[in-house]
Amino acid sequence: MQTSWFRRFFAVPLFFAMLTAIWPSPGYAIPAFSRMYGTSCSTCHIDFPKLNDFGKAFKDAGFKFPKDDESMIKIPPVMLGAPANAELWPKAIWPGTIPGIPPIGLRYNNYFQYTSSNRNQYNALLPPGAIAPYIPATDFQTGFFSMFTAGNFGSDIAFWVDDDISVSGANGNGGLGEAYLKFVNIGRLVKLPDHVLNVRIGQLELDIPFTQSKSIWVSPYDIYSQANIGVVNPAFNQQFVNNFTTVASSAKGIELSGGLHTGGYNYSIAFIDQNTSGTAQANNNGYVPTATGSNQGGVGIASDSNFKDIYASFNYRFNLERDQESRNAIQAAGPSGPRDHTYLNFGTYYFYGRSVQRLSGLTLDGTAAVLTAREPFYRVGGNATFNYRCCLQFNALYMYGHDYNQLPVDATGTSIFVSGTTPVGFVQGSPATFSGGFVDAEWLAYPWMYVMIRYDGVNSNSDYHNALAPGGFTGSPFNGAASVTRNRVTPAVQFLVHANIKAIAEYQFRPSQSVTFVTNPFTGLPMAANSFHTNTLVLGFEFAY
Amino acid sequence: MTQRFVFTALLILTLAGGAVAGTIEGKVSGGANSVVYVDTIQGKTFPAPAKPYLMDQKGLLFQPHVLAIQVGATVEFQNSDTVQHNVFWPSISGNKKLGHNLGTWPKGEKRPFKFDNPGVISLLCNVHPEMAGYIVVSPTPYFAETDASGNYKIDNVPDGKYNVVAWHEGMKQQTKPLDVAGTGKADFTLSK
Repeated sequence: MQTSWFRRFFAVPLFFAMLTAIWPSPGYAIPAFSRMYGTSCSTCHIDFPKLNDFGKAFKDAGFKFPKDDESMIKIPPVMLGAPANAELWPKAIWPGTIPGIPPIGLRYNNYFQYTSSNRNQYNALLPPGAIAPYIPATDFQTGFFSMFTAGNFGSDIAFWVDDDISVSGANGNGGLGEAYLKFVNIGRLVKLPDHVLNVRIGQLELDIPFTQSKSIWVSPYDIYSQANIGVVNPAFNQQFVNNFTTVASSAKGIELSGGLHTGGYNYSIAFIDQNTSGTAQANNNGYVPTATGSNQGGVGIASDSNFKDIYASFNYRFNLERDQESRNAIQAAGPSGPRDHTYLNFGTYYFYGRSVQRLSGLTLDGTAAVLTAREPFYRVGGNATFNYRCCLQFNALYMYGHDYNQLPVDATGTSIFVSGTTPVGFVQGSPATFSGGFVDAEWLAYPWMYVMIRYDGVNSNSDYHNALAPGGFTGSPFNGAASVTRNRVTPAVQFLVHANIKAIAEYQFRPSQSVTFVTNPFTGLPMAANSFHTNTLVLGFEFAY
Repeated sequence: MTQRFVFTALLILTLAGGAVAGTIEGKVSGGANSVVYVDTIQGKTFPAPAKPYLMDQKGLLFQPHVLAIQVGATVEFQNSDTVQHNVFWPSISGNKKLGHNLGTWPKGEKRPFKFDNPGVISLLCNVHPEMAGYIVVSPTPYFAETDASGNYKIDNVPDGKYNVVAWHEGMKQQTKPLDVAGTGKADFTLSK
């Protein structure tokens, strides 16, 4: 029955999607750099936005060809000062350039989702007779429409800005993704060797091992969106951890980085605004201006404490390319054309911050006061990649998250979650931790077809415990977890119709969930029962121009 | 004496007139980058030119965009860019068995290839799919490329009956029979 249903509804559209994908066409992809250099998207991208070796070198060089950029560019930049002005500095502005045309690219995607029949089980969370938010079996969904602009202002100063003009078909719901200036190879000013020091300033995606914002996967990596919310279910020992920081979120700050392209080290160190709550702070204080506001207050302050979070990563890439001539070139020279190198990369990363929480309480003498808990937290892990030439890549990432738990207590030293009284201070409680990661395999079966599979796993005691209450706890990063470990397997296939248009199919075997709770006869604590999976199939298309 | 000189001169000119070939000229509707050539002449073979032709890859372009050569000629493919390139062609005039991949080589180096089969070759680079170049391999030494206005002129064509072929990128190739007696004229209006 299920097979015939699948055939009826998906076999035909899938067939046509594939037919469309393989149908020959003379079109080319022409986003911002394609226009300036008169070249196809596939010069830099394997399957946009995933970069090939040349694309990485182009990006590392500050969005320009690593060598002889002037001879490659078809639309010359506009000079903002003759080069000889450099000799007059500081009596003249240092000469720069702007791109000859506004380097603007646009990107849009649209989806169709099928959700398996278990979706209706969530209705059991509601009281009898309550109208449930209906989850249809099939649904057309608009994705995002984004604008991005990037390029080089000369003097090795690069820029990038991307912004979601609309998300989910609603205008204005988007936001700024990344927006930064990058000073490429700035270490040359102090005689450091090339590639030792670059500086990025602005709003950044941290140099996480695998990019989330420019991932080719439709569904995000589960571990990247794992906030750490401690246990709040009163049936268990409650924690006072409420940290919405995720490593894949945009961060505001400064990043130092450097490294080698084909083999060797790569590092980054970033200092970013601490923001545990995950939202910008409203600047309601009319006495303090902000950079973007008036002398009487501004539009908001990004930080929610003085502390700056620190992120550091280190990677070492082993160049396994056998072709000696092209071993250290930007791309390897295969017998049938240039391609990516074969390499093995190992890395590690560390994120350290302080989760700041404030609550109303009393001093020991009974005076009303604001109590502040500063809970250090860290995320640490490792990553590995094996890339075989153009066509096959295996990736793996592991992350361990740890938040210290400052438990608010009353004057008797009892947790306020037990006594229900007003806090006067904090004691050290059991930390809130989680772990997990993912492994994936990406195979470029044809230059226009990517076949991929990914496993995501997340272990979080608190997510499980918070789900064991009627209605769950909505602040949790995952609702209705039926076990401490959440496993997801996601096979996917993508077809490049042109270099700038792709068709996507992604199936998610999602983690088990539960909305039914029973009492464990041995511990007397609640436990999940009657678990089920709500799997989804997403079909979509995406284009950039 | 004068009479003998005039007679001898007339005789030489007459004999030479048989040996000095004529021309084929005309216009091709596609403008520049069209190639016109005399198709295979039954029973006739021609020595291949010794001097190689050059096809360059520069500024992410094949230069020249269209190159006409005689069958048996050698083309040297050169990479003048600092990025890596590749040269391959999936077929020669649709014959996929004649497809070939020359591989990759560094800047400044050349890689020769001798074209022993007449036809049209679409040159591609597999890392820069927008790059396109063409080599038109003429079965005879009688070929020419058009100028910016689409005019062409093929010199040194012996008198005779020929099939004249006109080719332009993206257009249907067109063949016309032509009698050459001193001169021949063939205009082509190509269509997609």
